[in-house]
Amino acid sequence: MAYPHLPADFDERYDTGWVTVPNSLWDKDKSRGLYQQFIDQLAYADEIGFDGMVLNEHHQNIYGLMPSPNLIAAALTQRTKRGKIVILGNLLPLHLNPLRVAEEYAMLDNMSDGRLIAGFAPGSGPETFNYNVPSAPTRAQFWEAIDLVERAWTEPGPFAHEGRHYPLRYVNPWPQPTQKPHPPIWIPGSRSRDTLVEIAKRGHCYFLSSRSHGKETARSQQLFAQILQEHGDRYTPDRMGILMSAYVAETDAQAQAEAKEGVWYFLKNCLKGHLRREGRQLTFGPGIPYIAPAEFRNFLKGSDPTTPLLGDAETWDDLQESASIIVGSADTVYRRIMDILTHSKVGNLLIQFHLGNMPDALTRKSMRLFATEVAPRLRADSAALFDREFPDTARAREMAT
Amino acid sequence: MSMRVVDVRGRTVTLAEAGNGAPLVYLHGFADVHAVAGELLPFHQRLARHAKVIAPAHPGCNGTDELDSCSIDDVIFHYLELLDATGLARFDLIGHCVGGWIAAELAVRHPERVGRLTLIGACGLFVPGEPIADVFMHAQPERGTDSSSLRSLLFAEPDGPVAKRWFPDGRGDLDEEVRRYQMLRFGSFVGFKPPYFYHRELRERLYRAAMPALVITGERDRMVPPAHARTYHDELPEAARLELVHGAGHAVHLEQPDKVADRIVEFHKQHRDEFADAQFDATTHA
Repeated sequence: MAYPHLPADFDERYDTGWVTVPNSLWDKDKSRGLYQQFIDQLAYADEIGFDGMVLNEHHQNIYGLMPSPNLIAAALTQRTKRGKIVILGNLLPLHLNPLRVAEEYAMLDNMSDGRLIAGFAPGSGPETFNYNVPSAPTRAQFWEAIDLVERAWTEPGPFAHEGRHYPLRYVNPWPQPTQKPHPPIWIPGSRSRDTLVEIAKRGHCYFLSSRSHGKETARSQQLFAQILQEHGDRYTPDRMGILMSAYVAETDAQAQAEAKEGVWYFLKNCLKGHLRREGRQLTFGPGIPYIAPAEFRNFLKGSDPTTPLLGDAETWDDLQESASIIVGSADTVYRRIMDILTHSKVGNLLIQFHLGNMPDALTRKSMRLFATEVAPRLRADSAALFDREFPDTARAREMAT
Repeated sequence: MSMRVVDVRGRTVTLAEAGNGAPLVYLHGFADVHAVAGELLPFHQRLARHAKVIAPAHPGCNGTDELDSCSIDDVIFHYLELLDATGLARFDLIGHCVGGWIAAELAVRHPERVGRLTLIGACGLFVPGEPIADVFMHAQPERGTDSSSLRSLLFAEPDGPVAKRWFPDGRGDLDEEVRRYQMLRFGSFVGFKPPYFYHRELRERLYRAAMPALVITGERDRMVPPAHARTYHDELPEAARLELVHGAGHAVHLEQPDKVADRIVEFHKQHRDEFADAQFDATTHA
């Protein structure tokens, strides 16, 4: 849900697409109908058979125009019938009181008749700056907030919460969610072991927020599986999701020609300040010191600040290597995604179809081709793969039916 | 000079110490001992000719344990516990940047313990229209490797040798990188929000810090505008002349170490403290 009306020379004139990108660039006339287009595309996904629609929360940037994903989710409850409404997620430390999120999510679960997937995130670098939320101390606050929401959904109220950050005398939210015991809880994380441990302790699901998928994705899955095991739990593919972008057309050449403008707009403009070295990256680094110093030391040892990031890609070949934006015919896209699934054994694919300033008609065509020619094969082949890899889960399912 | 660790109610604290005589507690800032350098710098060594310099590393920095909860109030109590654990009933106090803020907070709470107070480029005050610059934003390198905007906050000459020694472009020495990170992390705990490296009530409390005080700032301090030093100077009842150091930035004690140290020594001589000077005389004439 990028802002699609930037001037052609944005990259030359502005050093970031985040936090301080001047909002005088917002064109109120060109932007009429923009949110309607976003909502229509998501409703279209439901119509053509996607399993769900994913929304996220961002502030003060051109990358994602959704400061309040719950508003879009509310609209979707009225426009869609079947798919899950996945909010990844509300940024808890930005709220004075997480009970407000517990209430809004419970409303959405009711309004959608039990289709909500409840994501929670702590906010990353940009929110540190634009909401003045300190990155390091809010981590403890974040986990308390998640636990408070879960309690508010499962423990009969009214009860008192004696939390360090959110002490409350009367926790008793009306309404309660439709799903029992509560909507599935998803938590995005990069590759921080601490985050995975906290997710495992609580039995929640893990969404890897990286955009690139090489060996690191498989390593994250293995680490998550190992940590789950340490906590007496077991990894199954439904416990983890990954993020990628895709564009499908009739042939590889046509896909590349049609996607090109939107992809480069997205990479050069929307990722500036996030996944580009040009300008100032505001999503990770010493000024956003939320990871423990020992982890930062490991990060320094294992990384090189001169390595290009996703948005530094100059050619299509660079892009292909990162396995992040997958562009091609249905066959190509199927093969490349199946390759990622084979290595990473992740059961949930969160796919961005609208990139940068991509026209609505092309976005919809790509979504339709994906839904009809890629998704059915991915579903069948990944089910077979996971049954082989996780035979216990397969047996449990057979016994249940 | 020595480095040692002390136990403070089960927590480890790193102390750098040098010299003999009256105890002089030094609380560090961002461009400083424990925050970039693992040991005392020429500025501290020069002070150590005249006093016993005791420089603790803030919680989370250079081997000192992090605090579970690390607000400014928690940090003040941490320092009271450290002072008690090391038997420092009365001492001279110097603080730079965040360390200056902590020093001022200690001085208004326990004026009876602080002999003479020196604040260098100290934050801690809300001064309308003179915001403290965003060190966290500037700590994010440009183009992945360029630290010049952080250097320009901290130093008058951002491309000078001192600035580049302690805040190099690209990946520096691993231990120094981690120390810089730990100091930013401490800063994020204590001073990010709310508010941004200040405590609104501190200004109204400064009347309590009635010990002799010296306020120093680099005239080109681009992190803590010199208006903050003027405010400290105006509000501290016994403040000596405001020391505006020409040609220096926020890290005035790294850029002009001899000048700043000599000025502090002179200030101590001008404002004799019976308790401290008795200790100094005892050690130097022994």
